[in-house]
Amino acid sequence: MDATSAPHRIPAEMPQYGEANHIFELMQSMLEQLLIHQPQDPIPFMIEHLHRDNDHVPKIIILGPPASGKTTIAMWLCKHLNTNLLTRGTLLGKEFSSVAEEARKQYQRFKGWILDGIPQTREQVLMMQTLGLAPRHVIVLNAPDSVLIERNLGKRIDPVTREIYHTTFDWPREAEVQNRLLEPEGISEVETARKLLEYHRSIIRILPSYPRILKAISADQPCVDVFYQALTYVQTSHRSNAPFTPRVLLCGPMGSGKSLQAALLAQKYGLVNICCGQLLREAVEDQSKLSELIQSFFDKEMTVPDDIILKVLKGRLDRPDCVHKGWVLHGFPRDLDQAHMLASMGYSPNRVFFLNVPLDSILERLTLRRVDPVTGERYHLMYKPPPTPEIQARLLQNPEDAEDRVKLQTDLFYRNSSELEQFYRQALTLNGDQDPYTVFEYIESGIINPLPRKVF
Amino acid sequence: MEAVESRELQARNYLEKHRIMELLNHLTSVLLFIRPPKPREYLISLLERLRLAKATGIRFPFFMNNSNIVAMFDMMDPSGKGTISFAQYKEALKNLDLCTADEVLNDDGHIITLDKFRDEVVNTSKGMDAPNSYHTPYCTSTRLTTLSAQSASTTET
Repeated sequence: MDATSAPHRIPAEMPQYGEANHIFELMQSMLEQLLIHQPQDPIPFMIEHLHRDNDHVPKIIILGPPASGKTTIAMWLCKHLNTNLLTRGTLLGKEFSSVAEEARKQYQRFKGWILDGIPQTREQVLMMQTLGLAPRHVIVLNAPDSVLIERNLGKRIDPVTREIYHTTFDWPREAEVQNRLLEPEGISEVETARKLLEYHRSIIRILPSYPRILKAISADQPCVDVFYQALTYVQTSHRSNAPFTPRVLLCGPMGSGKSLQAALLAQKYGLVNICCGQLLREAVEDQSKLSELIQSFFDKEMTVPDDIILKVLKGRLDRPDCVHKGWVLHGFPRDLDQAHMLASMGYSPNRVFFLNVPLDSILERLTLRRVDPVTGERYHLMYKPPPTPEIQARLLQNPEDAEDRVKLQTDLFYRNSSELEQFYRQALTLNGDQDPYTVFEYIESGIINPLPRKVF
Repeated sequence: MEAVESRELQARNYLEKHRIMELLNHLTSVLLFIRPPKPREYLISLLERLRLAKATGIRFPFFMNNSNIVAMFDMMDPSGKGTISFAQYKEALKNLDLCTADEVLNDDGHIITLDKFRDEVVNTSKGMDAPNSYHTPYCTSTRLTTLSAQSASTTET
């Protein structure tokens, strides 16, 4: 009855369910709240927390020197994400009314918050930490001082809507707004320089408090660009500590580098590399009932039917090493039916990558492949040419690599790829036309970072 | 620095006092075992039941029903004699958290049959104190989940 004498076989549905429903993150956020507030009665507190369901509400801090456009960005983000914006001005104003304070606190928890320009000193950061207000994303805007000083001179405020405009960069379109714009105080060069000095002194002490959630965006570009960068950052979730077994699917036409990437992944992360063609050939060698069937299809040069492939695949994926270590599959779902059958077996991949390579590159990669029949060494006339002319003389080409075959196969793939891309909605498309290690890095970051989810 | 350390200590003490980690482990194992389509609502219902159990003093819905008791008995009695030894019986009760390690049970010299085992388990579980019973189910049910996973795996192999 002990784990050491008979190892527990955890059914594969459990980790899949855990990943799909983000159970780990759920429990983690609940534990965080428990530790911050330490209620005397944990159970009613937990029930309330679960009812509130605000794990994915935005919690953003925007910091930056004066004239960097913080307030503008904060307001746009606020409108886009439908959350609350808190600036120094609004907080100081509301401090007088305690009822408003209460209402604000309640409101904050449901919709989240964006802090504009708070905290300004390290002491404020520490106070926020003790109160348990931890942001999930911190954006720092950077720009050279001279740009900021100049920019600040053109700052104008609309007294009615409190929106900030600029004489050169952000001039309002309506004439009546233009007429009522006021120049705020403290925008002279001397003033701005002084404020910048203070800012630089304090920001150095604030930034180390947010090591992993900080992102610096250059404010020396058009507002819209800054906004889009900020928005994409805020919508990504950070890497979590949740247990994760990668089940990767690589799709692409032949010659896109699937086998190479799969081999690299298997080597680095210990995943099981499953190449469909290889699997079928192994099944033939196994001398089982299926192997004769498969052999007959190989002899006739017909594609092996889906259900046989599925049987072989299921046998391989059911083995404990696949279940525990994760797998990299390539060469299998080639069309929508196969993808449906894979999903119905219970084996959905949790990361899907499409490698895009233009036809010319594919032809270049494949038609120049050669094999030396004597040594068995594989060469490529462009990337790995044979060392001596006498070897070159005896090189042979695999008939599968002939140009017309390659074109046929690529055609076949592209006919089905759009359906596959629709089926695997969270697939990542990569440019496969680069050197293998670059592509590998893209794939790695796709696996390690959580899938982008439209959180808000 | 002192303030930081004492906050950490305070947090640790809080976790220990309310046995939060066991509670969370139990909730996670139930979720993974049952795999409800809506985890949040299911969690809320579980916590509500726990709260009721604590308030009214009725023991939390015990995961151990008759078939589990029979299964446990069969595991301890592989040859099918119909009886288990006293040492096995005591071990079983310890595994179910129904008796503490130091408790001395009367060995009245008779060997334990299935009916006696079943009665003892049911009666001892009914007789547990209500406030403490709030704590033990987590350990019990996580062990039972592993036990049933274990028995499932042993029957498959």
